[in-house]
Parts: sequence; structure tokens; C-alpha cells
Amino acid sequence: MAKRNTYDEDEELEEKFNLHDYVRVAHYLIPYRRRLGIALASILLGNVAMIMGPFLLKSAIDSAIPQHDMTQLWQLSAFFLITLVVAFGCFRYRIWAITEIGQDLLKDMRTDIFTHLQELPFSYFDSRPHGKILIRVVNYINTLSDLLSNGLINLISDLISLVVTLIFMFAINWRLTLASLVLIPVLAVWTYFVQVAQHKAYRELSNKQSNLNAYIHESIAGIKVTQGFAQEANAIETFDGVAEENRQSYMKAIYVQFALWPGVQNISVLTTALIYYIGIQHVGVIVSTGTLIAFLGYINNFWNPVINIGNFYNSLITATAYLERIFETLDEQPEVKDAPGAFALPPIKGDVQFDDVSFRYDADSPMTLKHVSFHAEPGQTIALVGPTGAGKSTIINLLSRFYNVTQGAVLIDGVDISRVTIESLRAQMGVMQQDTFIFSGDILDNIRYGKLDATEEEVIAAAKVARADDFIRQLKDGYHTTVQERGVTLSAGQRQLIAFARTLLADPRILILDEATAAIDSQTEILLQEGLQHLLAGRTSFIVAHRLSTIRAADQILVVNDGQIVEAGTHQELLAKHGEYFQLYESQYKMLEE
Amino acid sequence: MNPYTWVWQYARKSRGLIIWAVVLILVNAAGIVVVPILSGMIVDQVIDEGHTDRLVPMLLIMIGVTLGRTIVRYIYEVCCEQVGQNALFDIRHDLFAKLQSLDFNFFNTVRTGDIMARLTGDTDAIRHMIAWVSYNVVECILWFFTAVAVMATINVPLMLALVVVTPLIGWLTFKMSNEAHPVFFEIRQSFARLNAMVEENISGNRVVKAFAREPFEIEKFEHLNDDYKQQNMNSAAVSRRYLPPLDFLASFLSVIVLLIGGAFVIGGQMSLGDLVTFNGFLWMLNQPMRMSGWLVNDIQRFSAATVKIRSMLGAKPAIVSTPTVAAKQLQGKVQFDHVSFAYPDAPDTNVLTDINFTVEPGQTLGILGETGAGKSTLMNLITRFYDPTEGHVKLDGIDARDWPVATLRDQITIVMQDLFLFSDTIQDNISYGNHTATPPFIQEMATVADANEFIAAMPEGYDTVVGERGVGLSGGQKQRISLTRALVKDPKILILDDTTSALDMETEAAIQTRLGNITNQKTVFVIASRISSLRHADQIIVLRHGRIVERGTHDQLVAANGYYAETYRRQLGNNADLKGGE
Repeated sequence: MAKRNTYDEDEELEEKFNLHDYVRVAHYLIPYRRRLGIALASILLGNVAMIMGPFLLKSAIDSAIPQHDMTQLWQLSAFFLITLVVAFGCFRYRIWAITEIGQDLLKDMRTDIFTHLQELPFSYFDSRPHGKILIRVVNYINTLSDLLSNGLINLISDLISLVVTLIFMFAINWRLTLASLVLIPVLAVWTYFVQVAQHKAYRELSNKQSNLNAYIHESIAGIKVTQGFAQEANAIETFDGVAEENRQSYMKAIYVQFALWPGVQNISVLTTALIYYIGIQHVGVIVSTGTLIAFLGYINNFWNPVINIGNFYNSLITATAYLERIFETLDEQPEVKDAPGAFALPPIKGDVQFDDVSFRYDADSPMTLKHVSFHAEPGQTIALVGPTGAGKSTIINLLSRFYNVTQGAVLIDGVDISRVTIESLRAQMGVMQQDTFIFSGDILDNIRYGKLDATEEEVIAAAKVARADDFIRQLKDGYHTTVQERGVTLSAGQRQLIAFARTLLADPRILILDEATAAIDSQTEILLQEGLQHLLAGRTSFIVAHRLSTIRAADQILVVNDGQIVEAGTHQELLAKHGEYFQLYESQYKMLEE
Repeated sequence: MNPYTWVWQYARKSRGLIIWAVVLILVNAAGIVVVPILSGMIVDQVIDEGHTDRLVPMLLIMIGVTLGRTIVRYIYEVCCEQVGQNALFDIRHDLFAKLQSLDFNFFNTVRTGDIMARLTGDTDAIRHMIAWVSYNVVECILWFFTAVAVMATINVPLMLALVVVTPLIGWLTFKMSNEAHPVFFEIRQSFARLNAMVEENISGNRVVKAFAREPFEIEKFEHLNDDYKQQNMNSAAVSRRYLPPLDFLASFLSVIVLLIGGAFVIGGQMSLGDLVTFNGFLWMLNQPMRMSGWLVNDIQRFSAATVKIRSMLGAKPAIVSTPTVAAKQLQGKVQFDHVSFAYPDAPDTNVLTDINFTVEPGQTLGILGETGAGKSTLMNLITRFYDPTEGHVKLDGIDARDWPVATLRDQITIVMQDLFLFSDTIQDNISYGNHTATPPFIQEMATVADANEFIAAMPEGYDTVVGERGVGLSGGQKQRISLTRALVKDPKILILDDTTSALDMETEAAIQTRLGNITNQKTVFVIASRISSLRHADQIIVLRHGRIVERGTHDQLVAANGYYAETYRRQLGNNADLKGGE
């Protein structure tokens, strides 16, 4: 059995942080490069307009005011107003364009991760709580939303401001400009230390959030058990424990994250002081009062972007922890995927052959199946019997290629199924499993899941064969009755009948019933079998069941034990053999007769 | 109650921290005034008047004040986050506790993904409000009035010229706030739908794969994904309408300072240094104006989130515990007295009609019936997962509604058809109902349920971790683990709802014999479709369309020649060829 993760266990991440993640994010921007380009141009224009402010103030202080020139003051003010109108227009455009690009990108990412999830095998879903998968598709990507929509754009905008401001500063006075840059290395060192600590803290936090999500999900799914066993108080206590871990790791992250800003702010004031100190020594010599004032204005313009970039860096570090999780999921390779050059399986005639098949779930676990071989002719019904856990379901799972065989081959109509496309294989196969899942929606749509373009008549016809029609008609709105996921208001037997109808509607060439009738009463089952007789004609079918009544009519019965086929033959042949099957059968008989 | 009083109930628990934060915010605001004032003094005293000796002390004050101020700010930001986390913790606790108290009706109608969205995304909007928005609002107000006050001391007319635009800003933010609220509510709804869809897709992944329906699922997802994007764009549309004008007005203050301030300096009403000071304070006026739009967005996001959370906190379970008797040991007598039941969403369709029976302590009642006949519903009435619409369910002669719900659930255990195991070790799953169970007792019960052998054969035995909903185990294995879990709880009344259907008959027989030995002190209900599981019951009832149509012992029912006898003969008949074969 594969190693499983639980809600109270942090997931380990092997991949180290690297720039590569961001390159991948950048790839998502490529389709939008035109729009992004226009948006950036508008940001550039807006920033240039905004940066005129201190420059205009400088002109006023240096010339208009000392010269008592009201006309010039009016001109400067009018020009200032024009720059604001330009900035206004740019800002309006930017909000829309940037949100749209950001949202498109998130949408693409979500689609990618969702599409990828559809390709992942059972084992991926089986080996971790579902809440942990869910949080990646929805919540983590939402966390990126701010970073990408606002953060990234603000970053670009701030970088532009920074450059433009620097150009202005150099143009006005290069000495003072150099002085303002002296403390940048100190800032770099400070940022580095904060970043290292923060990345670690956020990684832990994302783990704890994932755990919390997993626990919530599981609690909802298992609420009947919790309430049935009166364990509510315990559940709340466990929840509080997980939530407390969240609170603590959140605060830990905050302690570090918030340390960045005071550093930047202090360095900024030190720089301002330095400018005053140097500037004043040279007032009148190389610096005018206006220049000094303008310069101090620019220093604000200069430090604001630096602070913002610092903040962006903060959120980048935060997001990295989430980004890693997202890409980790995207990088998860499906074990079962189309082989290179896979071709579509032609319409199945129904000849199924297991050729010396062995299988194990993990490289280091023992073989679940050992050298299984059998051959089913088209149209035959094959029953698999044997004790619980013998490997019957595994055989079924290999046939629909939910797993790849470890050794040997599974052949359909003589074609090795590892060479065909999974889609073409499964589309021709109807598998009905022990776990029946009902989607939220109405019953009609749930049955229609087997054949999306089925008419209502077809759906009802399938339901009739599956003996589901009677009870469905008795429901409040008949076929249009709304059911919730897992069909909680339906009994287990009713859910199985719906799943049955769904499978029948799909009109599969190979039908697999894996303990599909366990929860159905014996009378309904008999009616069901009568209906099935017509359907099974011309189709190969595999039945896993414990009720021998279901099995007797099979063309071949395979007795599975400990991963091997120990007996094979028809009902009569096997009884005559007086082997395992005989014993199994006799014991059932005894149960009723004694 | 408005959202703010509601959230205050949670925040007030951290009053101490809040007081600290407020004091520190004030200290910071006082400190913030120093730098622009010093700038003005430097221009006037050092540059204009040439007191160069004052420069260095002034700069040192500037640096010292900033250092102190940033530390103060760090502390109150952390304080606010702590308040936010504390409130978040309490809100989540209340939501989760509520969830535990809600009955099946709630879970039958609300999707898992929707509930999860409330516990994660929606609560986070509230945290953000407490931890960030609140102090930013306070800061903005404080800055605004500090700036006005300081400016008033320098030049009242210029100050008034700046303040004149404030009503316009107030009007814009008010309008924006009204427009933003419904938009954010729609975003939350859209998010919940997306979340619920993905959740179902993950839970139903086996079915999706079995039918190769991946393209269909992706299409469904695309649709919701696109809707979510659209909702976000609607929010951007509101921002586009209001944020640029707000920003424009804020920047416009600079023009006023330049023009009017410049004219004042020219006219001799104020000094150049005063103009510089004014300019230095300008950000304290225009920053709140710029921020107002963003803050309004955040506040509306918060407000939309509280609606969803409070509707869940306010959900009323139909089953409430209003006990009139004290918690005590059940004897195990169960009576159904003219019980009828219909689900709330279909009140006209009776699932059970006029059910009457009495089971004495220690007896076993067998129930046979077709799929959907109402067998499981009957059992859910005993543990009060639902209340009957008519009649009474009595335990030890007392109406189930008069017992404390906890007592009932503690002493009555259902092994449900719908098996659920937690993603935890088998050991912890088994001791779920009885944490104090000793390993020997657990193994003993596992042996009764025929689970000990296969569990012990697993690589890590009882410490093997099983996946959510018990995936990775076969149906029969899950059933035996659930049975063990129920037995370990050692209940007074045990309900087995088709518990052994996935087992072969031989295993089932062995389990039944062993069960018989340990359950003679327990009242047992057995729902089954195999006669072999029912025949030894003290009483057997046959349900059809929610009514009892036959009742009696095995022999009586076989003699009565009804549905039971027919089922029996059919199951027996299947084995006829064995007889013939010998």
C-alpha cells in the first residue's frame, strides 16, 4: 500500500526554491504580451506625468516665487493640472488592463492545474487528503492573485518610477544622487536576511494551512461518523489544535515579514539626512534651495518605489511557498499515461486476455497479483470469486488500465492495452465500482453522465433496465429530483441502481461490475439480472461478487486467492472438483439450511 | 447586528492588545509630524538664516524619531495581526463547532466545497479587516486630522483651500462603497461554486475516470472559472470608476499648494519654509484620500464575507437537544409508536408510515426489505439523526426527544451502509468512539469482526494509514473495520445496516456466531438482504414502501408464505443444484 499523507502531517517538498518557478509564471504571460505592452506603456506615461510634480515645484521655488512672477506660477499650475489629467487617464486604463491580464493568467493556471489533475491516477487522490488537493487548485492560486494582478504590475510601475526618478535626479544634481544611493547595499543585506527567514516561515505556514483544509474537508465528509459516535467534542478539540498551529505559524511569519519595512524606512530617513547634510554644505555653491527641496521630493519618489518593491518582494516570498505547491502538482507525472505513438483502440469485439500478469502497487511492496493468466471469449461472462482482499478488484483495475501491469500484458482483441490511448479504452468500458459517487444535480444528469448526449427517453430506458425507474418515479420530482454529492438522501442501494443505469447508458463493449450489487436486495437483484441478460448478450462482462446466485450463470468462474487464480471453470465443473469453490458454495448453503 | 458589532464580539477578547495598538498608533502619529516640521525648520533656520550649527542636532532628532517610530509601528502592526489571528481562531472555532452540531438536513443541502469556502476564504477576509484594514482606517483618519491641525497652525486659508475637496472625496467613497458590496458578494458566491465543483471532481475522481469524462469535467470547470474571472472584472469596473478620480483629487492638492501657496509666499503672507513644511505634510492629507477607495473595497469584501459566515453560524439544526431526563445508562428497550416520517424537502412523501414495534433489552430485531423501503431511515430515527414527523420513538419508555442527544449517540451505534474511515491509522480509526480502548480489547473486537487477521497482515499492521473514505481497502475490509469500530465502542444498542453485504457468506457466518456471543447483553438491529443474516433474530420485520408488511420469527414468516418466505426460498433455491450435485 502506498505511503499516505494525513491531515496532521506536513507534506515534504523535495524541490528547492529556484528562479525557475518565476520563469514558469512568466510563460503564462506570453499570450498576453501585446496587452501587457500597452498597459506598461500607459503606466510609463502615467509615471512620467506624476514625476513632473516635484520638478514643477522646484521651478516655482527657484524662479517663479523669488521673482514674484504670478504668470509663471499660473503656467506651472496649469501644466501640473495637465499632468494630473494624463495620470488620471493612464490610471483608469491600467486598472482595467492589469486586472484583466492578471485574471486571465490565474484562469489559465487554474485550468492547467485542473486539467492536469484529471490525468493523475487514483493513487494520487488516494494517497493524500482531498482537502490538500483542493487548496492547491483554488486557494493557493487565489493567493497568487494579489501578487500577479497588483503586485507584479505595481512592481513594473515602481521600477519605471525608480528609473525615471533616477534620471531626473541625475539630471538635476549627480553628486546628491550618488549620495542618495550610498545606503543601498545596507538595504540589500537587510532584505536578504529577512527574505531567508520569511521563506522558511511561509513554507511552514502553507503546510499548516494545507493541513487545516484537509482536516476541515475530512470532518465534513465524515460528519455522520463523528455524530454517530458522539465525537463532536473531540473533533472540535483536534480542529482547535490544527487551527492553533496555523495561528502560531502565521504569527511567526508575520514577525519576520513586518521587519522589512522598518529597515527600509530608517535607511530612507538616513538618506534624507545625508542629503540635507551634504546639500546644505553646498547651498548656493552647486545646489539651489529649490533643487534641494525638489531633491527631497524625489527622494520620497525614490523611496516609495523602493518600499513598494520591498513589499512586493515580501509577497513574492510568500507566494513562492504557494507557487512551489502549485508547480509540484503540475509536475506530478501520471503513472498511467498514453505511450508515445499510442493509437485509438478500434471498436472492441470483446476478446480479453491476461497473459502472465503480475502487479505490485509500489516498487518496494510485495506482489498483489502473481502470474495471472486467463482468456475470455467475446460475449462471455467472467465471474471473479475469492476471499476479501484476494486481488479481484486489482484484476479489474488493470483491465481498465487504472494501473499499469508490473509484468506480463493485458490484451483486448489481441492488442496490448498499454499501446492504446486511455480515452479510447475507457470510453468502451463500463466500470461500476463499490464506491458509487453521485454528483450534485438532478438524477437525470447523474445517469446521463454515462452518455452526455442521451435523450431523456434513453435515460429512462436505462433506468428501467437497472430497476431504478420505480423508486425514481416515487421521488418528489421524479427524474428531476435534486440530489447532493454522494447522494446523501438516497439509500446505498438506490445509489447503486443509479450508478448501474449510468453504466448501462454508456453502452460499453466490456462491462465490469465490481461488487456492484452488494447493497441491493436480492429480489431487485434478480429483476436486475433479468434486464441484464439482454444487455450482456454480445458483450464481455466481468463480475466481482460474493453472492453465488450472481455468479452461477457465468461462463467462466475464476477463483482468486492470494493474488493467484487457484481454480477456473464453470459452476458445474468447479462443484465437481470439490475444491475451494465447492467449499465456498457449501458454506453458503449451510448458512441457510442449518 | 451590523458586521462591525458582530466582528467586535470576536475582537474584544483581545482588548488589551487593541488598547496597546491604539496608544502606539497615536505615538506614531505624533512622531510622524516631526520630520516635515524639521524639514521646514531646516529651510528657514539653516538655509535662510544660516544657523548651520543647528543642522546636525536637527538631523539627529530626525533619525532618532524615525527609529523610534518604526519600532512603534512594527509593534502595533504585530499587535493588530495578533488580534486578527485571535479573532480568526475564535470564528473558525465557532464555525466548526456549529458544523458539528448541524444535522443531516444541512449537509444534504449545502455542498462541501461551499462550507470549506466559508471556513477558509471568507474567514480570511475577516482577518484582513481586523488585522490590516482597521488600523489603516484609523491611521488615515489620524493623519488627516493631524495634517489639518498642523497646517492650521501655519496658514489657515491655505489649509481651508485644501480641505475644501474633502466632501467630494467622501461622496465618491460612499458611492463606491454601495456599488462594491453586491459585486464582492457575487465574487464570494462564484468562488464557492468553483470550490464546490472542484471538490466534487476530486471526490468523484473514480467515476470521472471510469467514464473517461475528463473533457466534460474540464468544460464544466472552464465555465465556472470564467464566471469567477468575470466577477472579478466586475469588481475592477467599480474600481475603474472610482479609484482614478480619488487619486486625481488627492494629487490635485499639490496643485493647490503650488498655486495658492506660491501666491501667498509672493504676497508675503507666508514664508518659503512654511510652504516647504506644508508640502511635507501634504502626503498626510492625500494619502488617506488615495487609500479611501482601496479601503472601501476591503471593507466591502469583509462585509460580503460576514454575510456568508453569519448565515452558517445562524443555521438552526432541526435536531436540538432539550433533554428532560438526566444522562443515564440505557437498558436497551426500543419502541416505535405509530411512527411516520417524511424528509423536510418532500413533506408529502412519507418514507415511513405508521411503524409499530417493541424490542426488549438484549433482543435482536431483523429487518428485511427492498432497496429504498425505508430501512436505513428507520435506524436514523433511533439515534435521532432525524425526528419522526408523527408518533414517538421511545427508548426505555422515554421519548427519544427527551433524552440528551449525546447520551443516545454514546450508547447507540450504527454501522452505516455508507462507510467512512478517516485518513488516519487503522488503530485510531477503530478507537474513534472509545479512545481509552486497550490494544488487547481492540484486537479481541477485531477478531470478532474478522478483521484482525487482514489488519495484522498489512505491512504496518494496526499502524497502517488508510486514505480518506478508506480508499485503498476493499469494500469487505472497510466493512469489517467499521464493524470493529462500533464494537470497540461497546454500545448498549448496536445497529448493523447491511454491514456484511460485501463479505462472502462464510466470513459473514463466522462473524455472526462470534457476534452472538458478545451481544447477548445488547439490543441489536440487523438490516440485511440475506436471510442467513436474519434468521436467528428474535423478531423479524419486513418493510415495503415504508410500512411493516410482515412480522414474526423466521419460522413464523416462512410459514406465512409471504415476501420473506419467497426471498428465503429463492436464496435456498440457488443452492439446489449443490444438493442435486451430491
